[in-house]
Amino acid sequence: MPDSKILIIDDEWESAIVKAVQRRLEDEGWLTVIVKPQSQWMVGDEFESAAIYAIEDERPDGVLLDVRLGEHRDDQFKGLEILRQIVEHYPVLPVLMFTQYAQGPARDTAARGALRWNAPVDFIDKLASPEEVVLRLRRLMGSSPEIIPIGAHLQVDVGAETVSARRERDAGLEPVSDIHGMKFEIFRELAAAWYRSPGELVPFSRLERYSEGEEARASLRVRIREIKVSIGKALGVQLGANDLIVNVRDRGYRLAPPQV
Amino acid sequence: MGPGGLVRLVGVLVLIFGLVNLAVAPLIGKAMFAHLWGIEPLTYFGATLAIIGLTVTSVSYLISDVIRNRRQQAEEDQHFAERWTQVTQQYFDLFNHDLGRPLRRILGKEREIREQMEAADTEIPVSVRELLDEIEEQTPSFRLMMSNIQVLIELETPNTGETIQAVEPGEVVRRIVDRYSLVAADANKQIVWWSEPTEFGIVQCDSSAVEHIVTNLVDNTVRYAESFVEIGLTRDEKNFYIRVWDDGPGIAARYLPYLFDRGWTPEVARREERTSSGLGLFIAHTLSKRYDGDLTVESVTSPDPDHHTSFTVTLPLCSAPAHTPGDTQA
Repeated sequence: MPDSKILIIDDEWESAIVKAVQRRLEDEGWLTVIVKPQSQWMVGDEFESAAIYAIEDERPDGVLLDVRLGEHRDDQFKGLEILRQIVEHYPVLPVLMFTQYAQGPARDTAARGALRWNAPVDFIDKLASPEEVVLRLRRLMGSSPEIIPIGAHLQVDVGAETVSARRERDAGLEPVSDIHGMKFEIFRELAAAWYRSPGELVPFSRLERYSEGEEARASLRVRIREIKVSIGKALGVQLGANDLIVNVRDRGYRLAPPQV
Repeated sequence: MGPGGLVRLVGVLVLIFGLVNLAVAPLIGKAMFAHLWGIEPLTYFGATLAIIGLTVTSVSYLISDVIRNRRQQAEEDQHFAERWTQVTQQYFDLFNHDLGRPLRRILGKEREIREQMEAADTEIPVSVRELLDEIEEQTPSFRLMMSNIQVLIELETPNTGETIQAVEPGEVVRRIVDRYSLVAADANKQIVWWSEPTEFGIVQCDSSAVEHIVTNLVDNTVRYAESFVEIGLTRDEKNFYIRVWDDGPGIAARYLPYLFDRGWTPEVARREERTSSGLGLFIAHTLSKRYDGDLTVESVTSPDPDHHTSFTVTLPLCSAPAHTPGDTQA
């Protein structure tokens, strides 16, 4: 989802922790917009009006929202009030609550109140790594993008049904030959699972749908070997058993981005 | 009308019947029983009934009064406990927030330093990298410690409300793997997970409880695994199962009976300095039982080449708390 716009509403926007997350979001190819109150007063009401205005004005694809906005006792849960307004007026806008109150009464209050179980709202605590924030936002905003970047050297274009690779970091992407049809479907399944959650493995049963013949497992193994040879050639490296597509304890395969 | 009211009504009716007997005894009693006793038996009968009726009515009033007082006292106690819980949780929330602030600053600065050093294109000294990694690696432990304290407050407070809701166990496992993958990768360990069926669907459970149980198990296995942690999610008609497997050295059979005891760690048994609080497995086990489920462990120790430890959480597809909180203190 490159070019997606993320709105960051946090009274600690100048802190190193928020900046690290902002940088990681931008590395992901997303645009970030930070909400700052117009006046010098950093109080919850100012944030509330600035946030609602920014959503209307910027039309973001996702929101990263703090719960505590300001030091005053009344602003302790101001973010939940903003959340309620977003859920009411923009029910499909994904919101990731980025807060120290990711568990306990504040989260429960929000979950029991305005939110349905399938509302695109989630909580993550502020000590989460920037990578964790990105993964959670990815899933909130939709788990199957049209273009899935895999590390710096590979990319899957789901619409065009192509896998592209580059040998050098600054070089352009070139389509990898020989990955079409069922081989593309196998690689797309693996890439989509990796994009959702890097530790997720795809069971053999799911991948064997893209195999032919009586020996589905053996056929799958052959196709995987062919995919690795084609991508290895495009990257200019020889991919071993533990590179790119890894067999995990004979349960399934998972993707491991190549370290070129 | 409750049983107390019914007893009272019967008592009053008996009393009235007895009084009526006493009233009519001088009129009809003599004619009826003149040849039997000096005072006609209807008087005795009426007086006895009146006494019984009066006694039953008074006792029923007395008992209902005692019951009402006790109920009122219990309600006051419960209100106090709820208020105490609320105050404790609010206090903990603030404590958590305020304690988190300096840690967020340290963590933010660590990430800034790391980025600046990487951008400077110079080789980062191994000792500096290890120091930065150490800060990053301790963060999930801190997060888990804070949430474990929160769970302990809830577990040891009577009448804490549980939230049974639609939960996607696959998403819960994904989040936990997100959290621990980087830490595991830094220690040259890998975490993988799978679910069967792949589209696992939803269950009715307490989302926080499932997350606490699995986080504590994963935190434990990541610590002891040699190189690999696997989380498998399966289900049948009644239950769903989360198996957390690691290829660590295994747990000796003599320690297994104590594994879920509060505060127990292998170091306690060996009289060494503790490296963890010993709360994680206790909390995971207690929460599993609380939701009518179970947590079991199976282990093979090295030097057996198949050495491993495997924890299996069993939870019903449709949960309801099996125990009241507060009865969990081990």
